[in-house]
Amino acid sequence: MFGWNHRRRQLLDEFEAHIDFETEENIARGMTPEAARRAARKKFGNVLHAAEDARAVWGGLWFERLMQDLRYAIRSLRAVPAYTVTLIGTLALGLGCVAIMLAMVDSVLLRPIALAHSEQLVKLWGQGGPEGYHASDFALSFPVVDELERSSTLLSGIATYNTDVHPLTAQDGTRITLITSASANLFQLLGLSAHSGRLFVPADRGQPVVVVGDGFWRERLHSDPHVIGAVVELFGKPRTIIGVLPAGVQFPQGSGSDSVFVPAAINAKGENEFGLDGADTIARLKPGVAAPQALAEAQSIYLNMAKTPAERERRLMMRSYQETVTGDMQKPLWTLLAGVGALLLIACANAANLQIGRATNRMGEISIRSSLGASFGRILQQLITESLLVAFTAAALATAIAFFAVRLLRHAYGNDFTRFDEISLHPGMLLAIVLLAALVGIISTVAPALRLRKQMVRSSGVKGSARSSALPGVLVSLQIAVTCVLLAVSGLLTRTLHSLADVKLGFDPHNVSTLVLIPADQSQSPQVSRDLEARLLERFNTLPGVDGVTTQSSVPFSNFNMDLNGRTDVDGHTYREGESAHYSLVSTNFVRVSGIHLLQGRTFTQADESSGDIVVLVNEAFVHAFSPDRGALGTVIRFHRNPGETDADQPVAQNMTIVGVVENELQGGALDTPYQPLVYLDFAQFPRQSMLSQIFNVSAQYAVRSSLSLPVLDRELRAAIKQDAPSMVEMSLRPMSEGVEQSLGQRRLALRLVTGFSGVALLLSAAGIYGVLAYSVALRRREIGIRMALGSSRKETAMFVLRQAMRMVLIGIVPGVAGAWASGHALRSFLYGVGSLDPLTVALVALTLLMTSVLAAALPTLRAVQVDPTEMLRAE
Amino acid sequence: MTTQADKEALDLLQGTLDLLILQTLTTGRAHGHAIAHSIERRSEDVLQVGHGSLYPALQRLLKLGLITAEDGTSENNRKARFYSLTVNGRRQLQTETSRWERFAAAVALILSPVAEENA
Repeated sequence: MFGWNHRRRQLLDEFEAHIDFETEENIARGMTPEAARRAARKKFGNVLHAAEDARAVWGGLWFERLMQDLRYAIRSLRAVPAYTVTLIGTLALGLGCVAIMLAMVDSVLLRPIALAHSEQLVKLWGQGGPEGYHASDFALSFPVVDELERSSTLLSGIATYNTDVHPLTAQDGTRITLITSASANLFQLLGLSAHSGRLFVPADRGQPVVVVGDGFWRERLHSDPHVIGAVVELFGKPRTIIGVLPAGVQFPQGSGSDSVFVPAAINAKGENEFGLDGADTIARLKPGVAAPQALAEAQSIYLNMAKTPAERERRLMMRSYQETVTGDMQKPLWTLLAGVGALLLIACANAANLQIGRATNRMGEISIRSSLGASFGRILQQLITESLLVAFTAAALATAIAFFAVRLLRHAYGNDFTRFDEISLHPGMLLAIVLLAALVGIISTVAPALRLRKQMVRSSGVKGSARSSALPGVLVSLQIAVTCVLLAVSGLLTRTLHSLADVKLGFDPHNVSTLVLIPADQSQSPQVSRDLEARLLERFNTLPGVDGVTTQSSVPFSNFNMDLNGRTDVDGHTYREGESAHYSLVSTNFVRVSGIHLLQGRTFTQADESSGDIVVLVNEAFVHAFSPDRGALGTVIRFHRNPGETDADQPVAQNMTIVGVVENELQGGALDTPYQPLVYLDFAQFPRQSMLSQIFNVSAQYAVRSSLSLPVLDRELRAAIKQDAPSMVEMSLRPMSEGVEQSLGQRRLALRLVTGFSGVALLLSAAGIYGVLAYSVALRRREIGIRMALGSSRKETAMFVLRQAMRMVLIGIVPGVAGAWASGHALRSFLYGVGSLDPLTVALVALTLLMTSVLAAALPTLRAVQVDPTEMLRAE
Repeated sequence: MTTQADKEALDLLQGTLDLLILQTLTTGRAHGHAIAHSIERRSEDVLQVGHGSLYPALQRLLKLGLITAEDGTSENNRKARFYSLTVNGRRQLQTETSRWERFAAAVALILSPVAEENA
């Protein structure tokens, strides 16, 4: 820098000397000193030009120009602080929102599928009953997987895994842990290699070894680098840690990286160590093989292999792994990202409008620079430098905004959504933001610059520059359209949340805590478990402050539900292929404790236990599906038998008599699931010898209704477990309302994001409307003054301005509503109780936009009506 | 715009101007103004460019190492920057001069029949 300045100084001195010589010569020729100097200057030509050309020879001029432009830009921006703050604020908001969404999309959608060639990975499963109203998914059995592996020519590998929760003992004691029983080839198929140690090889099958996920290694093993060879205890047996997975591997889906993997050991009955005869199946397509091709081959293999009777009714299904993982979050997040992109567009439009206004104000300055010899290119370079300075400042601000927002998100939602605890801004994203900022800076300069050029070509008269153009108005209409879409989407989400809040759960969640217990020892006999469960139920019911406790195999919002979906014969109803009902095992006092409404008949009684007949309750959906015309009470139902099936194949062999009908109860964890036909069985009546007894006794779920404070209740329950059933381990204990909240969480988060974004959009649009109107009023003061002098009233003047505002809004609303409908359609799976084009929402959105535009127009209107016609005419 | 026109003239003359500067400096060191005057005189005022255009050419020659510059005092006791030829500059002048002469001869040869026809 010093060198350049020195050289520049030297050159200018030299020029000065040159001109002095010439002047002296001219004087010697007899000119007056003044004329002599003028002639000398004329002869020399443009001093600055010569200096610049001379220095250009030395190179590095671009840098000097850049510094000069930057200094100039800072100086001229500081002269208009209001403009600068508005512009930077606008862009920072737009870029900040984009950064937040990029961080979410990256951590939720992109990183989890960051496996080598994840596009080749597919999941396989069986789907039941092609007919009927319900198709459920079944894990493929191990023999089926083996056969596929042997016969397939299009799959390069096929692996299985089952994830379950079991108590595992490490140095830090025994804790419930995610355990994945994986086929030995799983990691190889996924293309993973160990962070330390090694992963499974075929020889590990059934060996007492484990591989641990990165999360488990960090949390439970305290990132111990010497952990390889250490021993953990699972199912009462020691197992050696042979490897740690690299950070960032999130497998199985939804488990984060907290799982511990054991190499599956399939016994002679075809069951793994969890006693399951099938598993989640993942396969890798050979390079270049399309999924439909592979599916067709797999289906034909499946069709021709030996299968159990149940398997014969199923079809093989296939879905890309990427879709499986990101499925439910994919659409909302991409939609939000698109929304945020639109927001950035609004910000760009505002920036362009601001710059158009400023450029017009600067016409004088620019004409002077141009007539002093600055080329259009040089002026454009200067303008772009200024834009980039603004854009990069905005990017820095946006990064700060995003940084805090992401921390907030992580803090607020980290425990609620998988992968949200990993949301972060990383360097790649920051680079993207900076590039985006540069792009925004350049784009928002182009429109004003083109206008400048047009005006430079025209002789730059002051009056010429007062002509207004249609472009700013069009940009504002565009903003209105985009804002309309965002507002409409947040409206739809709001209505969805309202509808969901009105959903009847059946089970009254008020003051209810859900407790899940499992035996610490997996080999504990089902009979022992069942007796323990009954004893604990009795004990809990006698605890002081507890109003009632019931057990239920599928409690609303529990993650540990056991679901039995059985094909069912109903007397007086002809069985159709695939017709089934869900079965829930409850305790005798279920109806009283749950608060579910008994619509007809009676509930379970103690007397039912001793009587030989099995009595059941059914829900409204069952009545609707199987006996809509007749009363359901007294109807006998039984599990449907295929030819050749015996009592031993049935969960319950006996007939079951319906004694009561209850209202629909929410099944599973989502409020928008449609109600399925459901049969309630009293656990006390459930045959002990049933094959399902074992499954249902794997865990025990209690719903405890109590007005005690949570810590007190938790303490009471835990003390009772310790005393009466020390062999049971607590898996989960939480209020049911927490589950309700959590199930709404995803939508609530989406709503908050969209509402936040549309708020920003509305703000920017208002600023846009204000800017255009204020500018237009400033330009048309003369016109307004003349109109008023010619008899136009203040009211007419106000209408004159407001009409302009309304025009921009109305032109924007039309494509806005169309866009809103399209995004509603794209989001329809996310909506509940509201259509994709909701008239009420649209009306409210339009009203909001009109009100906003009136507010934004208020100040310019006021300024217009305050124009003093006499003053204007005098100026004329 | 005059500045644009100047620039074109400069580009056209760039090679020529370099040659003229080198030629002027064969008689000894000179400052910018003296060089400009000498060129004007010797080209009989045909090569009329803004004196300012001389300086980019001087900078170029400095950078190429064909001339050197030093601060000094002029005949009428003014501070000025004096330029003189380097050995390289002298050699360059010789090759350029002969090349220029060949080029001028060729141009003359090409143009002469046309000139006759037009006459």
